[in-house]
Amino acid sequence: MKNQLKTLREAHGWTQGALADRLGVSRQTVNALETGRYDPALPLAFRIARLFGQPIELIFMPPDEPEEGQNP
Amino acid sequence: MTSTLDSQDRSDGDRAIFRAYQLEFWPGIIAYAVLLTGVLLWGDLDGQSPWRFAWAVVPVLPALWIVRAVLRHVRRIDDYQRLLLLQALGGGFAVAMIAAVTMAFLEIAGLRVEGVGWIVYGAGMLGWIITGTIAGRR
Repeated sequence: MKNQLKTLREAHGWTQGALADRLGVSRQTVNALETGRYDPALPLAFRIARLFGQPIELIFMPPDEPEEGQNP
Repeated sequence: MTSTLDSQDRSDGDRAIFRAYQLEFWPGIIAYAVLLTGVLLWGDLDGQSPWRFAWAVVPVLPALWIVRAVLRHVRRIDDYQRLLLLQALGGGFAVAMIAAVTMAFLEIAGLRVEGVGWIVYGAGMLGWIITGTIAGRR
């Protein structure tokens, strides 16, 4: 699954470690999420959405869907 | 250019979890090493006393403490780390089982090897470490 996590994190000026502490996960997990190696379970996806104040579907999208702001 | 946001440092949460694990793990390891050394030096394991069997299993007690530390660590880590740990344990388990079966067949074939248990233990630990390293780097 593709996601906007890195973009959102950098927009907030946070390191992976800082985001990890806010989400209650490890930095390794944040890295795996950002690189698409790991898709979060729903509770973590909701925590991410709540932290960035955005709906889950704007942060995470299926691999065949264009990213936000891109033309199909 | 590398930004400070690309920092690979462990988070405060990572450090707290690691510290808690170390504080629970190391007393068990140290007690295990001390008891193992004591048993090997003074347990008279190759003697005739029936107590030698009791002495032989004494190091298991701190080993149980280590198991408790690992289980508590598993409860503290997040889902992704648990997945990596499960893969690593699965790799270690598979290698240990293959080693055990291989040694058993070699024994049936007439090959007597001293310390088979230690060979299986070592193979399992090695499998755990290698699988864990590979899973963590993927």
